[in-house]
Amino acid sequence: MDATQIGIIGYGQSVYVKRTERSLFSFLAEASRHALASAGLRKDEIDGLAVSSFELPPDNAVTLAEQFGLSVSWAYLGTAGGAGPVASVINAARAITAGHAEIVLCLAGDNYDVAGHYRLMDNFNRALKNYGSPHGFGGANGLFGIIQRKHMETYGTERTQLGRISVGQRASAMLNDNALLRAPLTLEEYLNARVIADPLRLYDCVLPCAGADAVVVGPLDRAPAGKAVRILAGYERHNHPPGEPAPLRGGWELFRDFLYRDAGFGPEDMDFVQAYDDYPIMVAIQLEDLGFCPKGEVGPFLARHSFAWNGSLPLNTGGGQLSCGQAGAGGGMIGLVEGVRQLRGEAGVRQLAKVRRGLVSGYGMVGYGHGLSTSTIILEKVS
Amino acid sequence: MTGESAEYPRPQEDSDNRDFLEAWRDGCLAVQVCGACGRSFFYPRPLCPHCWSDRLSWQTLPGKGEVVSFSAIYRPNHPSFFSDIPIVLAEIRVAEEITLLARIIDIAPEAVRIGTRVRLLAKSEANRYPLPTFRPDER
Repeated sequence: MDATQIGIIGYGQSVYVKRTERSLFSFLAEASRHALASAGLRKDEIDGLAVSSFELPPDNAVTLAEQFGLSVSWAYLGTAGGAGPVASVINAARAITAGHAEIVLCLAGDNYDVAGHYRLMDNFNRALKNYGSPHGFGGANGLFGIIQRKHMETYGTERTQLGRISVGQRASAMLNDNALLRAPLTLEEYLNARVIADPLRLYDCVLPCAGADAVVVGPLDRAPAGKAVRILAGYERHNHPPGEPAPLRGGWELFRDFLYRDAGFGPEDMDFVQAYDDYPIMVAIQLEDLGFCPKGEVGPFLARHSFAWNGSLPLNTGGGQLSCGQAGAGGGMIGLVEGVRQLRGEAGVRQLAKVRRGLVSGYGMVGYGHGLSTSTIILEKVS
Repeated sequence: MTGESAEYPRPQEDSDNRDFLEAWRDGCLAVQVCGACGRSFFYPRPLCPHCWSDRLSWQTLPGKGEVVSFSAIYRPNHPSFFSDIPIVLAEIRVAEEITLLARIIDIAPEAVRIGTRVRLLAKSEANRYPLPTFRPDER
C-alpha cells in the first residue's frame, strides 16, 4: 500500500488517576474503545496490535490480543520506553505499507503510582540495576539533575528559562479536564518549589500515574470524513551517542535532516510541538536537536517564546506529562493523542486556531545515565 | 545515621562483573581494557563495546577523579537511602576515556563544583557501599 496514504485515523485516552485498584488491562481497554469509536471502526477490523507498557510483562502484545479477543497478523511490543509509542506508529505504518496488516491499534499505558515508579526504576535494566540503583540514584531524577546541571554549566541555560516550559504547559492543562495538575503555576512557584534532585525541583518532575493512550493507524480513506491525519515522516534512533552517561544531545540530531526532507517542511512550519516532557531540560534538548534553535542556544530561545496552547510556540498543548501525569509508557503517546486531537479540530477550548501540521517526539528507556531511545514523527491534517 | 550496606540494593554479581566487584571489596576501581583495540570502558561487559573483541583484561585505576556534573538527591529511589539525604551523585572522570556515575560522601552539595577533585574511599570504608564511592580529595 502507498505509504503516503497511511495515517492516524482514530485516537483515544483513558481517564488519568493518581492511584487505582483497576487493572492495567482495564485502562488499555478504555483507551482502545475510545480509539475505535473515534475511527468509526468495528473491533474485528483491527488486524494489527502494538503495545508499549512497563508493567505489562510477563504479558505482551500477543497475550493482550487474547485478552481483547483479537486475531492479528502483526504484533509489536514497544521496547523503547517513552520513545516506544511514536516508534510503534512508525513501524505500524511500515507494516501496513508492506501488506502485513491493514489497521493497527497502537496502545501505551501503565497503572503505577509514585512508589511503583521507584520500584520499576530500581530494576529497569541490567546496567541501571547494577550500577545506578545501588548508589541511591533517585530514580530518573538524579540522572536528569546531572544532565541539567551540565547543560546549565556548559551553555549558561537558566532555570528561569526552563521554567517557562512547565508554566506554559500548565496554562494549557487548566483547559484539560483529564490533566491531574490543573492549578495555576507561576514562574515564581516553579523556581521556589521543593528540591527533588538539585537542580531539579518539583515542577521539573512528572507525577507517575495510571492511564492509557491509543491511536489507530490505517489507510487515510478509512477515517471518518475530514478526520484523517497523514504521517509525513518518522524516524527512530537508539543509543546515540554511545558510551556517554550524561550527553547533552540525543538521536534526534542524527535523523533531523532526513525527517524534514521527507516531510517537505522544516521546524518553522510546525504549528505545534508535542515533545517528550519527562523534564523541561529534555524538552529543551529536543528543541535544539530538532533544529528549532542551534545547540546550546535554547536558553535565549525559551526566554523569547511562550509555550501555552495559545503561545508563540504551542508546546504539549494538553499540558503534557508535566501537568497531566506520566502514565508510564503512556507518556510516550500522550503527545500523539493530543497532536491528532488538534489536527482533527477536536481539542475543544484549547483548540489551536490555525493548525495544519505538527511534530511529535518521543524519548526514553533510561539506561546507564540517560534515555537511550529517541523517535519523532511529523503529522499533517488531510485537507 | 547512614544505612548499613546490607540494606542498599546491590548489583547482581555474575561472570561479567565479578572482577570489578571483587576489586571494590578491596577498595579498588577496576575497569576493562580491550586487548584488540586498546580502549578501556565502564561498565563491565562481556565484549568490548568499541570493537566487540572478547580479549579483555582488568586495569586498576589510581582511584582519583574530577566531577563532570552532579545532582544532590533529596528523594532517593530506595528506602535504604532515606537517612542519607542529600545524596550527592556525580558523573566523575576517572580516566581520560572514562566517566562513571558514583556517590560522593562527606561533602555538602553547596561545596561541590564542576572540577572538584575526588578520591575513592579507603578499603576500610569500602565494604559499606555496594559500588565504588568517592570523597573529596583534600590534598
